Amino acid sequence: MTIGKDHIIKSYDSELARLTGEIVRMGELAAAQLEAAIDVVERRDDRAAQRVVANDDAIDALEQEISHDVVRLLALRAPMAGDLRNVFAALRIAADIERIGDYAANVAKRSIPLSMVAPVGPAGGLDYLAKLAAAEVREVLAAYAEQDAERGYRVWKSDAELDEAYTGYFRQLLTYMMEDPRNITPCTHLLFMAKNIERIGDHATNIAENLWFQVYGEPLDKQRTKRDFTSNPEMPKLGE
Amino acid sequence: MTSPALALAPSMAPPAAEPKLKVRDLHFHYDGFHALKGIGMDVPEKQVTAIIGPSGCGKSTLLRVFNRIYAIYPKLKASGSIELDGENILDPRYSLNRLRSKVGMVFQKPVPFPMTIFENVAYGIRHHERLSKADMEARVELALRGGALWDEVKDKLKQNALGLSGGQQQRLCIARAIALKPEVLLLDEPTSALDPIATGRIEQLIEELKSQFTIVIVTHNMQQAARVSDQTAFMYLGELIEFDNTEKIFTKPGKKQTEDYITGRFG
Repeated sequence: MTIGKDHIIKSYDSELARLTGEIVRMGELAAAQLEAAIDVVERRDDRAAQRVVANDDAIDALEQEISHDVVRLLALRAPMAGDLRNVFAALRIAADIERIGDYAANVAKRSIPLSMVAPVGPAGGLDYLAKLAAAEVREVLAAYAEQDAERGYRVWKSDAELDEAYTGYFRQLLTYMMEDPRNITPCTHLLFMAKNIERIGDHATNIAENLWFQVYGEPLDKQRTKRDFTSNPEMPKLGE
Repeated sequence: MTSPALALAPSMAPPAAEPKLKVRDLHFHYDGFHALKGIGMDVPEKQVTAIIGPSGCGKSTLLRVFNRIYAIYPKLKASGSIELDGENILDPRYSLNRLRSKVGMVFQKPVPFPMTIFENVAYGIRHHERLSKADMEARVELALRGGALWDEVKDKLKQNALGLSGGQQQRLCIARAIALKPEVLLLDEPTSALDPIATGRIEQLIEELKSQFTIVIVTHNMQQAARVSDQTAFMYLGELIEFDNTEKIFTKPGKKQTEDYITGRFG
């Protein structure tokens, strides 16, 4: 249901608009953090990595602000129907973005020990995963800003591509580790980083689901094709 | 058998208990003003049904038609049907006395009679039944307990009811209504003149009473409708716009007009 008309109480509209603005701003920060994290991996720049880690505080602070605004809106405005779903979704989406920020910071953090060992071949592959994830985050936030649940749903479907890329990267890292045990330390770091990026995609899909609920009042309940097979026992094992 | 024209649209019939009241194609005119325009709804038994809508939407009129209060004014006219347990209460052959014993009403402003607390409750009972003194005392106590007032007034039953607080007066009116053992209880803005604590007590009472009565409440307070009712009907300009489970109405209403009204966008 589209909500066109303004509230009789004008300040209610500005409070809801402020909430949406905060979410979008928080999401932009998180996407920028992810891009910055990948950049420091490539440049092997420890100081820049520390700055990325420190910047996560800004995302956490925004989440606090959103939580505060949500509690205030619930207590003082007693939102109903579409407004209630709007506020509820904002709270959940803020939590997802906060996690995205954490994962981006984790990637930056791991780049520090990674840069202490000699560069390994597959390090470049991380960039592709991060680009997919950052694009998902940016696109789902654009969908949120426009209240376009269908656009969000397309992001939700596109996450399969990231899952597949992650699975491929996982296999690639395994082959490097099997080839030379000296690769095990950097490749394990890369594996964790890749997993963090894959999780960012999952949080982007959560945002799409919350947007769907916000707009339609029902859960996005479509059977999703799982493409991350790395937890499958059929995956090749080290030394086989 | 209901004709297809009078069948309820799916959104007007929440899946609920057996209907106690079946309203079909109900129209109401106040001397030329068309106040209710073809209302159709099933009021489920032993549940709370709230009617909400802006002033002048016809919600109080609908409530009043449920016990034919309009009958004393010759220029007022209702057509269509309201079946109470299968009998059309709009049929003039359905006696008002019988209807009022089955359908009790409580108004916005508590209106205790200027007599003792005891007599306020006993008065209506005497109108319908002859009871011995002991039976009457037991019946009054039962009604006052039902109205969640007994503990506060048991030592001052002979005092004038006008000395009670507003909230107590309203609970006395509810006790007076349920003393007649009605099947349906109509509440017209029962707490709009009360403070939040007295309102809370009435809402708690509504919750307790619904195990025995079918309750229909008209309220301007949407939070109250959300708190106390199982079903909510939204009316606008004499029409029933949407009637559904309360949870659905307040989280995901089906009609834009309902959404606009309950989110405060009506202008």
